Amino acid sequence: MEMGFAEHVLDAVDIETLLKCDTEADARRMVIEWLKSLGLNDVDVVFLEHTPVGTRVRARAYLYRPGDRYPWLSRKDGARAEGGSVACEG
Amino acid sequence: MKAKKRVLLVPLDPVHDVGLKMIRKALDSAGHWTMLLPPDTPPEEAVQQAIENEVTEVLVGRTVSYEVAEVLGKFVDLAEAAGLRENARLVVGGMAMRPELAAELGFDAGFGPDTTVEEVVAFVEGRRHNPEQASTKRPKIRITEGYSYRFRDPTVEKLAGILAERCITWAQERTSPAVRRALYRRQLLELAREAEESGSTKAAQLERARADLYEQYLSLCDEQVVRAYRKEGLPRMVRELSAAEVRDLRRYVERCDEGVRPRSIRHCRERPAIFVQYGTGCPFMDIAHIKVSEAWGADGVVHFDPSWGARTEGLFEGHLTHQGDGSIISPENLRIISSSLSPSTLWQVRAHRGLNTPETVLLAAEVGADLTKVNMAYGCLGGGTDPERMVVDGVETIKIAARYGLPFDVVTNEELCGVPAYKAFASMLVVVAIALRLGGKPLLQPLFCRSPDVMVRGYMDDNYVDYNLAKLEVLKHIIHAPIWPGAPVGFLTHTQDRVQSSVSTALHAALAGRAGATAVTIASSDEAYSGGPISVASRVDTLRAVAEAFRFYGSSAVDASDRARNWAAELYDGIVRTLRAAQKEGFVASLYKGVFGSREDGAYPGRAGKGTVQQK
Repeated sequence: MEMGFAEHVLDAVDIETLLKCDTEADARRMVIEWLKSLGLNDVDVVFLEHTPVGTRVRARAYLYRPGDRYPWLSRKDGARAEGGSVACEG
Repeated sequence: MKAKKRVLLVPLDPVHDVGLKMIRKALDSAGHWTMLLPPDTPPEEAVQQAIENEVTEVLVGRTVSYEVAEVLGKFVDLAEAAGLRENARLVVGGMAMRPELAAELGFDAGFGPDTTVEEVVAFVEGRRHNPEQASTKRPKIRITEGYSYRFRDPTVEKLAGILAERCITWAQERTSPAVRRALYRRQLLELAREAEESGSTKAAQLERARADLYEQYLSLCDEQVVRAYRKEGLPRMVRELSAAEVRDLRRYVERCDEGVRPRSIRHCRERPAIFVQYGTGCPFMDIAHIKVSEAWGADGVVHFDPSWGARTEGLFEGHLTHQGDGSIISPENLRIISSSLSPSTLWQVRAHRGLNTPETVLLAAEVGADLTKVNMAYGCLGGGTDPERMVVDGVETIKIAARYGLPFDVVTNEELCGVPAYKAFASMLVVVAIALRLGGKPLLQPLFCRSPDVMVRGYMDDNYVDYNLAKLEVLKHIIHAPIWPGAPVGFLTHTQDRVQSSVSTALHAALAGRAGATAVTIASSDEAYSGGPISVASRVDTLRAVAEAFRFYGSSAVDASDRARNWAAELYDGIVRTLRAAQKEGFVASLYKGVFGSREDGAYPGRAGKGTVQQK
């Protein structure tokens, strides 16, 4: 079975975008909620810069933290890895 | 020998033909026949020239992106109709090109904007492009080569020398648990070698000797280390990596090393060596960081150990991972990291601040480290170790490093606590003088940082260049030795914005390079992010940024401004003043009394290991 996207990720997925929202808190809440809606639970905002025009935001979802069992480590060509502690559905 | 080709180069573009000119030059050098048409040649004329000259390849270039499909499609149609394709291959390349588009339009090959000249030449010659052969090999940098280690300034040489002599004499009369453990560790390593060589003939005898040595070793260790050795449990958040994980790791490294293209990001400079720091907590995640860093052009990597490990008497054994900053130093962890490194990668294992300094350097040297890090002043003023203990351990460590020919940087991170640069430099120069007397090869490590002292005094209110250059100027004036700004450069200038962080790192690294530094340590773009582990991708950010900065500045130099020279003079006066102030008490007492950094500055003599030094 082919490995899924999440099993190829070394550690984390970052998303960067520019949101149109009223406050910094809104931007933070929205991006976190969106990541969680994707099934990503270990999430955080790395960087946020709010202006009246828009909010530049970079958020991160850790799929594997140091010390986890990493699927990419045990990958065999074309085979799904065993173990892992994937924090998302990916 | 390959048959010579006849190549027509056709810029089907209003003005751009530089790429084709470069390719033509390479093809001419390789002995092929070439003809380059002028830009904006009509497709009909290009096809006619190709047929008349009986070419084997037509290389079409297109940079501008409008009407790409129309112009190139027309060319292919004309070539088909004229029978050109029967004898010639049609190739297209340029900024507007993608391989998929080329295939769609009917070309035999297409090359995009990242293509190298070597790739196109290889295609023309019908051979597989081998980037390993085509690119410059990245040799391991000999980091201390070319330095005389002579003091240029007699005043500093004399003052630092007196302190060094007294310190060595003082330390020679003392020992510590770490010094003794290093001795036991050495004997254990020798026993292991003997057991390997003798096979089973002396196995029982050697096993008894090993068990005895372990008992003596453990008698000098903290309880948690003893419990781990006796298999009674590991510290919280620590786990042993399984044999299957170790096996998988080795395969992962093999996969990483297949076809990796050695890359230098220093452009035309041989130095500085670009180092990155790792220490995710997990040696296997560290290795992933290392392989990525190597692939993106890092020359060296620096092992960070956990701060709690530095305050623990004794080293653990096994492949150990833990959830927290810094990766545990054990013989197995160091061995597997060492075996994962590319041959050209410089590897530094830090040993500068804790209770296992001599043993760490011994192990690091035994498993193949290229460098270590020692500074007794920082170890006790900023690293939390008792000064007396740190100096006894540090002197022994320098002896071990010298025995193995292991150079080490003398870091001045106490500046981050608030210690003014001149005081940190004064103690660094004493350690350098100690090292030179013991046969060591030290590297000076000034910080390129916006330190608390810099902020208070406004040294960088205008720019980050002058004061950093002043630091290099004064050190170059004092001694001819390698200088390795760190660690990492740009400390306290970074923000959580990865663009800002990467640019700041790149500019600091380029400044160091232009000012003649031997090496430089850079952060990831996650440097200022404290919400989680450093991500692998953030390493690529700064390595890419540094590459671009080095490309931008090339071999150009930078001169110190008048302001930088004035600050260099002030730093020099401060260094001499500090060294004079330390003469009465000596090096160790001066560390306690704040001569090299006081409580008012923000430096506090550490307490770890206090009372453990014994007279021999």
